[in-house]
Amino acid sequence: MAQARTTTRGDGAREARIGSGARIRGKIHGEGDLLVEGQVEGDVAIRGELTIAEGASVVGEAVEAQGVTIAGALEGDVAATGQVRLAAGARVRGNLRGSAVSIEDGARFSGRLDCEFDLPPELGGSSRGETRGRPAARR
Amino acid sequence: MASTVIGAGITVEGEITTDEDIVVAGTVRGKLSAKEAVTIEHGATVEADVVGSSLTVAGALTGNVTANERVDLQSGSRVVGNVKASRVTIADGALFKGNVDMDV
Repeated sequence: MAQARTTTRGDGAREARIGSGARIRGKIHGEGDLLVEGQVEGDVAIRGELTIAEGASVVGEAVEAQGVTIAGALEGDVAATGQVRLAAGARVRGNLRGSAVSIEDGARFSGRLDCEFDLPPELGGSSRGETRGRPAARR
Repeated sequence: MASTVIGAGITVEGEITTDEDIVVAGTVRGKLSAKEAVTIEHGATVEADVVGSSLTVAGALTGNVTANERVDLQSGSRVVGNVKASRVTIADGALFKGNVDMDV
């Protein structure tokens, strides 16, 4: 399949896809990328990239993946080992954790951001690893 | 490409319903119902009752099957359960245990 953007590890890590007419109630887990265009009610835990397309919705307690891109609706806590990206049009309610989190103009988000990074020295951070910033989006 | 694909590394535990077709290359436990074609690929494991317009099995399926049109059990498939469809084929090399109801 010519769609793989990330390097696929091992064999048979073919992309999985929940079509726009599909609805899953239950748990999804395993290896490989997952594209959600339909509706998922339940937890998602994959080792791969999770993409929630425009018009799709995921409602669960916990969403775990390597990288998460959201253009649709998501309710639940996200824990990513890589990047979390909220595209314009995304509607997200829950806490986000990732190595990096980006929120595009037009995305709606309510929850907490949990993203550890080093503050630059001019903002009071030490040169290496001492001070950790932890921004909280919700007041 | 099918509208819904459960990839080879993916497991779904629960209920899948779709208005379109679906290909399972991974594992599904629970219930699977589609308005269009259902394909269970070689290497896939499905432990679920399956409803669809048609069903093609090349992998392992445990559960009862109802198809509006047809069911094809291909060589290498392993199916345990009852099959209900007006047209059913079981290829040489398919393993099947269960009842067939062709609605005669």
